[in-house]
Amino acid sequence: MADGIGQIIIIVLIVLAIALAFSIGANDETLSALVGTGVIKFRMALIIGGLAIGGGMISTSGGFVAKTVGSDILGEGLVYTTSMLLTVLISSILWLVIGSFAGIPLSSTHSLIGSVVGVVITYSIFQGGVDPQTAFNWEKLGEVILSWFISPISGLLVTYLIFKIITRVYLKQLKGLNQIETSEQYFKWILLVAVIFAEIWVGANSGEALGILYGLLDNGSIEVDQYFLYAIICGIFAFLGIYIAARYVIKNLASQMIDSRPSEGLVIQTSSAIILMIATLLSLPISHSHVIVFCIIGLNLAQKKEVDTKGLGRMAIYWVLTFPIAAIMAGLLYFGLILIGFI
Amino acid sequence: MIQEYEEKELKKKSIDELTHLFMDIINKQNFILIEGIEYLIEENYEHFKKNMTFVIETTTEVQVKKVFESKIFTSKLMFSKADRLKLFNKINDIKNIAEYMANRMLVYRIIFPDNEFKLRVSRILESLKFISNDLATSVNLVGTDLKKAHDICEEIKEERRKMRKLEFQLIQRLYHYDMDYLSRTFLYLKDMVGDIMMLADHIKNFSEYIQFLAVKYLIFK
Repeated sequence: MADGIGQIIIIVLIVLAIALAFSIGANDETLSALVGTGVIKFRMALIIGGLAIGGGMISTSGGFVAKTVGSDILGEGLVYTTSMLLTVLISSILWLVIGSFAGIPLSSTHSLIGSVVGVVITYSIFQGGVDPQTAFNWEKLGEVILSWFISPISGLLVTYLIFKIITRVYLKQLKGLNQIETSEQYFKWILLVAVIFAEIWVGANSGEALGILYGLLDNGSIEVDQYFLYAIICGIFAFLGIYIAARYVIKNLASQMIDSRPSEGLVIQTSSAIILMIATLLSLPISHSHVIVFCIIGLNLAQKKEVDTKGLGRMAIYWVLTFPIAAIMAGLLYFGLILIGFI
Repeated sequence: MIQEYEEKELKKKSIDELTHLFMDIINKQNFILIEGIEYLIEENYEHFKKNMTFVIETTTEVQVKKVFESKIFTSKLMFSKADRLKLFNKINDIKNIAEYMANRMLVYRIIFPDNEFKLRVSRILESLKFISNDLATSVNLVGTDLKKAHDICEEIKEERRKMRKLEFQLIQRLYHYDMDYLSRTFLYLKDMVGDIMMLADHIKNFSEYIQFLAVKYLIFK
């Protein structure tokens, strides 16, 4: 491949990574619980949330999830080529777009890691001359995949436990609506802290954008100082994603949450933040939406409310299928590019 | 008969206090309506007319309603706002039904067919007083003790069940009089029983709504 095209691909990858950071912010609905309670003004909520997600992304860019996606997941001695990274991005975006048009809720994390696996397998068989068995850091990959199952279940359990404890210690003592309303006024302010905490870890665990940049750093396409500069730009764009684009989703969801109690939002946000924090500190990229869904289920179980098992089963099928489908799609795409001589 | 309130004084009250006040006013109006029907049974038409006219013309509750509505829109009780508003509107519906009843009862001067009929209407009115009073207590407890409010509503529903039996017996009795079914007396009595049932049913439905609130907000031990 000519150097000129290589340079263009690197620029395209950086632009896509920044765009991905923007979309992470744009798709984030963590703030809706906060906006729904009306604890602070909408614009202020967007600024605080944006700063938290951007801050979380920048502060953990030196390693953690970005390092796992961009380097640690691969076998020893193997690094991404720019074409591999481009295929990973195109494939995962394509699968997410197809999912969106089909109305299927998909995880961008699962889609990205699936695409990485598909591309690396194709590369090792047809191009790199690497044994597919040594192409991956199987231990790390196993940990990542295992975390996808453990994190939602942990979210469910943590939410269940936190709600039970709060109920036993405090909520059960509330007798009338006046007392409940007064206590919920306090919960609103604690919810503000919990949402900021959750946003930081959402940003920190969103390894898609920084993972691509880390891959470029790992293969020597960009320097360390450039990497951190782009990471800061990604953080700023995640902020802009929330401030410019997420406001519509947040407004819409918040209006539906007007009836929900801040204490419930607090339990869900705290639980999901704990899970995201642990996963990030263990450098494991997990799906925020999966964790949130299971946290909501945990709360419903604790409150002895009905859980939509049918809908959940359907969702679980899509979740499980995302990884292999993304892998196959990415593998085929990369193979197609080899066939046409692009790589 | 019912104390008037200054707007300034009302504006100082909380959403819960305004709801209490509104409920108490409407409950008192209910009692005046029931008392009016009792005067009708006693054939004390002057007092009957006075009570019914009062129910129709009094506007004390309108002041409270206006202050409540202006307050609820700016209230910070986001999650319970809609329920508070619904609760208030349900109290207001009692007033609407009572006003409708009073208007209908004033259209004609009725003479009851016999003493037994009078006695049975009086028994139903006693029950109506009981459930109206219990509802007021229950609404006032929503803010402080939802469990107790829930239990009182259970008593209202039980009393309404008993009332219904009496009402059916009364209707049956009415249809067995040797009376022209198109006469004003028959239509008046039939409508009167129907209107009492309508008010009682609203109180029962209201009590079920309070029970819904208790289940929604309370974590039972």
